[in-house]
Amino acid sequence: MSENNWNEIIGGFIAIGGSLFLVLGSIGLVRMPDAYNRIQAGTKASTLGTILSLTGIIFIVPDWFGKLLLLILFVLITNPVSSHVLARAAYYTKVPLTGITKVDKLKETLEVEESRKAHLKKVRIQKEEE
Amino acid sequence: MIKKLLIVGLLTGLAFMFYGLLISYNGNETLTGLGSYYAQNGAREVGAANLVSAIVVTYRGLDTLGEVTILFLAAAIIGFVLKLKKDEVVEARPVRETSELLTSASQVIVPVIFLVGVYIFINGHLTPGGGFQGGAVIASGVLLMLLANPTMHISHNIVATIESISGIAFVAIGILGIVLAGGFLDNRLLPLGEFGTLLSAGAIPLIYIFIGLKVGAELSNIIGTISYNQNEKPN
Repeated sequence: MSENNWNEIIGGFIAIGGSLFLVLGSIGLVRMPDAYNRIQAGTKASTLGTILSLTGIIFIVPDWFGKLLLLILFVLITNPVSSHVLARAAYYTKVPLTGITKVDKLKETLEVEESRKAHLKKVRIQKEEE
Repeated sequence: MIKKLLIVGLLTGLAFMFYGLLISYNGNETLTGLGSYYAQNGAREVGAANLVSAIVVTYRGLDTLGEVTILFLAAAIIGFVLKLKKDEVVEARPVRETSELLTSASQVIVPVIFLVGVYIFINGHLTPGGGFQGGAVIASGVLLMLLANPTMHISHNIVATIESISGIAFVAIGILGIVLAGGFLDNRLLPLGEFGTLLSAGAIPLIYIFIGLKVGAELSNIIGTISYNQNEKPN
């Protein structure tokens, strides 16, 4: 068997692995309990799935290496950022968390921030009174 | 249960409808008269490696001018509809602080998006794409900038100037085609060059640059109008 064929076989397997992740991601998109989990399932799985599929294509067609590398970089930057923005917007517009959520770090942070601001305000008022 | 049965019934009905369409469909396997003319003579007459842009910009250039006009009208009408009345005072929309991730990522991505947009419309005569697509990509970069900085103000004057200049240049090239070559929007007023290189296909790259700038400016203008009328008090 020539070297070229082996490349194609390896690339095919990697691409199939990628599509597996994409399928799992789309199942997660339907099955997960709330918006945040869905965003997470959709993003993580689709990022890795896309990257694996593109890597598979690199093995099959080595000439496209540069272009595909750029695509992978682009997906790596844009996918997490866009899902982060979506999740943030959902949180601030008060999309409910699922009932079994236990830890809400962002809420704690916001409360700390809020109390810090209130404290600063109080200090400033006191200084002005003096 | 009844709901599920209804859904299944609906899907089956849809499947039957599309099955009928699919069975009676037979695609055109041979080119029509005009199509075969384009396919046989397009590359030689126009010199563009991408036959679609050869047709869109030269053979059907007048239609493209019409499309650009439609887009311009749409942008103008959106501006007109969204324009606030003078006595209508709107509270400035409270803007939440944008997340640091988005602002830093947009600083990296926006130049790349602009570059891709410019690449798409400069290479319109060689690769799939062209002025409209490139312009839309550029406008999406502007949208990302607005998302990262919601209070950013897109200068109406600059956008309008770019749009007008590129519109006038588009028509001017068309008229130059009448004077120097065979007719309106004839691309042979510049030398056709070597087939498949960047500087080929006569005036097509030039026309596509202007279309790209115009479309990008128009779409950015729409985005800017919508954002402006939400954010700030009218003058």
